[in-house]
Amino acid sequence: MKKNALWYLSLLVVSSLLLAACAAPATAEPTEAPVEATEAPTEAPAELTELVVWADELRAPIITDLGNQFASEFGVTLTVQEMGFGDIRDQLAVAGPAGEGPDILIGAHDWLGQLVANGLVAPLDLGAKQGEFLEAAVNAFTYDGQLYGVPYATENVAFFCNPDLAPTAPSTWDEVLTLAEELEASSGGTTTAWTIQTNDPYHFNPVMNSFGGYVFGFTDQGYDASDVGLDSEGALAAASFLQGMAEAGHLQADVDYDVMHALFTGGQVACIGTGPWALTLIRDSGVPYTINSFPDGGAGAGKPFLGVQGFMVSAFSENQLLAQTVLTEVFSTAEFMQAMYDADPRPSAFLAVRDATTDADLASFAAAGADGQPMPAIPEMSSVWEAWTNAITLTITMQQDGASAFATAAEQVRTLISQ
Amino acid sequence: MKRSTQKAREGKPSLASLAESLPKIALRLLILAIVDAFAVFLIYLFVYDGLWPLAVLVTLTTLIINVINLWERFYPLRWMTPALAIIMLFVLYPIVFTVYTAFTNYSDGHLLSKVQSIRRIEQDTYLPAGGVVYNWTAYRSPEGEYALWLVDMDGNTFVASPGQPLQPAIPGEGGVGEADANGIPTSIEGYTRLTLPDIIPILDSELAPLEFGEPPLTVSIKTIREAAQLQPRYVYDESTDAITDQITGAVYTADEKQGFFISPDGQELNPGYQVTIGGANFGRLINSPALRGPFIQIFIWTIVFAFFSVVTTFGLGLFLALIYNDPTFRFRKLIRTLLIIPYAVPGVIGILIWRGMLNQHFGVIASNMVNILGWSPGWFTDPIWSKVGILLVNLWLGFPYMMLVCSGALQSIPKDIYEAAEVDGSNSWNSFWKITLPLLLVAVGPLLIASFTFNFNNFAVIYAYNEGRPPIPNTATPAGYTDILISYTFRLAFESGRGADYGYANAITIVIFAIVAAITLFQYRFMGTWEEISENV
Repeated sequence: MKKNALWYLSLLVVSSLLLAACAAPATAEPTEAPVEATEAPTEAPAELTELVVWADELRAPIITDLGNQFASEFGVTLTVQEMGFGDIRDQLAVAGPAGEGPDILIGAHDWLGQLVANGLVAPLDLGAKQGEFLEAAVNAFTYDGQLYGVPYATENVAFFCNPDLAPTAPSTWDEVLTLAEELEASSGGTTTAWTIQTNDPYHFNPVMNSFGGYVFGFTDQGYDASDVGLDSEGALAAASFLQGMAEAGHLQADVDYDVMHALFTGGQVACIGTGPWALTLIRDSGVPYTINSFPDGGAGAGKPFLGVQGFMVSAFSENQLLAQTVLTEVFSTAEFMQAMYDADPRPSAFLAVRDATTDADLASFAAAGADGQPMPAIPEMSSVWEAWTNAITLTITMQQDGASAFATAAEQVRTLISQ
Repeated sequence: MKRSTQKAREGKPSLASLAESLPKIALRLLILAIVDAFAVFLIYLFVYDGLWPLAVLVTLTTLIINVINLWERFYPLRWMTPALAIIMLFVLYPIVFTVYTAFTNYSDGHLLSKVQSIRRIEQDTYLPAGGVVYNWTAYRSPEGEYALWLVDMDGNTFVASPGQPLQPAIPGEGGVGEADANGIPTSIEGYTRLTLPDIIPILDSELAPLEFGEPPLTVSIKTIREAAQLQPRYVYDESTDAITDQITGAVYTADEKQGFFISPDGQELNPGYQVTIGGANFGRLINSPALRGPFIQIFIWTIVFAFFSVVTTFGLGLFLALIYNDPTFRFRKLIRTLLIIPYAVPGVIGILIWRGMLNQHFGVIASNMVNILGWSPGWFTDPIWSKVGILLVNLWLGFPYMMLVCSGALQSIPKDIYEAAEVDGSNSWNSFWKITLPLLLVAVGPLLIASFTFNFNNFAVIYAYNEGRPPIPNTATPAGYTDILISYTFRLAFESGRGADYGYANAITIVIFAIVAAITLFQYRFMGTWEEISENV
């Protein structure tokens, strides 16, 4: 009896799993069907040429629905394979050369150095359409003088401040220090002015370059890997500032992404630097906020890294011209780009959509990143992250003084690059 | 006469059995043919992409399968062919490939084979100075030949077909059909105009490779709208094994040591390709500044981490197993089931939860410690406490396995030994140390060694928990206090230079394998003493 019950239970579990597995594709069908129905009347359904697209979970539905709707006019059907945004790059390196990769893929511009060095992506020609995109975004997708991607969104971090705690957003790091002293005095130490992740250089970059520090020297030719700036005068000044904040007790250690946002939404910290991906979280929390440019450390307002996302064509695609046609004729339209924007609101790289964006927050993001330099796409960047992270951590946790931590980091980067 | 009848008698049954087994033989040959066809297809693919090691391996495997199946002498081996093939492909090949890769420069920038690399480089085109760009419309003759109607930027119109000079043409004249609303002729003599749906399926396969007009300034299709006098930017010459840049005239010669086409002034062409570089990866590891500095410190911590991970998980697992092995214990099944939960929860999730609980700001454990003790250690910032933290997390992850193993092993110890010990006046404390533990170790000893080896290379826990942090100050290359050998060298191979370096990573893997193998061998020797105990009991 007991055994029977168990048996039935496991059967039920298995069958429900099977059902769930069967149900998944069934929900996708109705969305496709009407599209074909509207297209069908004009002529007999011609044989559609298939292009495979790799996209993340936010963009995949748009490409599947709207993308296919437009593409079918060209006799093209887009088969979207959904995967994690970060996995696309690694998967392409394996699947592309084996002939199993996509025709079109979504990616970030800072992958380009690696993708081009590996010969995984094909050069593109936007033709007259190029003028319809944000110039900085097109430049970010240009590597060694060749265009490799059609950008759809830009992103950068900006300086969020809670107006209840900081009625006017601090415009210099000295003001941040003063604000920290005031807030800590008035709150008894529970509230402070600013916090930053203990181990994240991406959010630290605008701090560093507001003091004049840089990662790699920037020339007309792009980033120069032989010029490592982590121990430049400005970077050391930023390190000393960070050290001073930590020693005065204004900066907490062991802050990660979640903690930083929890401190901000909980009203325990007045200002943090974060990106558009955190907007939903911050809006939902109900905490008042303003979006500002980063404070000035003596070398101008902090300039965040500019990140650009876009579509690329695999060098192993057998339909490269067709893939490029889809990018320029189907994806480079206001309607499609608007849908991409709606799915995941970040400043669009398509001017018609970017200019039509009424969201004030995103406009503030765009303003904060107006002078931002693209995140280095050169492959040498992979030697930087860990060393830079460690310098920041060591400084914030006061295990080493800022200047020597950053000097060590610069040496480590030089060693790793020459390896 | 006698002989012949004998022969006939012998022949008869064998003929009958042949008839009987004919379908079987046919089936066998059919399956073999399918396997061979698939193998030939694979080999063709691998050779086309220049993946020689794979091609050789598949050829060898296929040959062996064929010999075994066709040659009566190897009949008994036939039953082993599937297993042999699987061993070749899934055990032998990865090992051979790992060792082989350790002697290559397989890395970011050198992912492709030379053939693939040349093919990629030859894709690049350029528009020469004075090159003309046209808008194009395609036409096709009944014989399947193509022609283009070209309109240049000044509005001049041409008819172009492969190998023929461009013909200036005007709609409605000289065999060219009347213009439509856009000024494009509806037909050209002998050709019919292609609509967009006609073009799409043939765009890449048929239209793109065509060169219209007369060499050298041929016109090829650039985008769906434009065609241009594009020229291949790079031309590969097989006889000199060099690539010439048609714009600058620079010659890039293949450098088989570096896996790049390199110009005399040191410029490299992307992408590079894979070459064998001998022991260079091992030399690089030995000469690496990373091996000085914190290496000894990390090596010691690796052993400490692996050792304490085994001792703590085994200790707790055994303790719990002993308690819940007692049949008088109430709810023991329920509790035992609950204790297995850490084993059932995916490790990464467990680790993330622990990270949250130990966080200094919002972590349950940290904040409770502050409330009760007035103090909480820097679980992620203090060099010592971060090590304690990761051992705790690994204990939580690992003890259910040890508990399960010990529960099983305890059942197998004969009860009469305990009874005999009791008669001899042994108390339970003595029984545990003199009977239970030695006998248990015989059973679980190899598992403990396996567990040590596993934790020696337990990359996942380290990386998911804190990526080897907190950092050690003033090291030659980035290193952390909780870094173990594998996470430290992972960073060397994948987060240095110009990106991921698989060849280097494999060289490191082989060295670490040698270290682990040496330690394991030593442990098995040590285990010999335990086995003697079991013989004496």
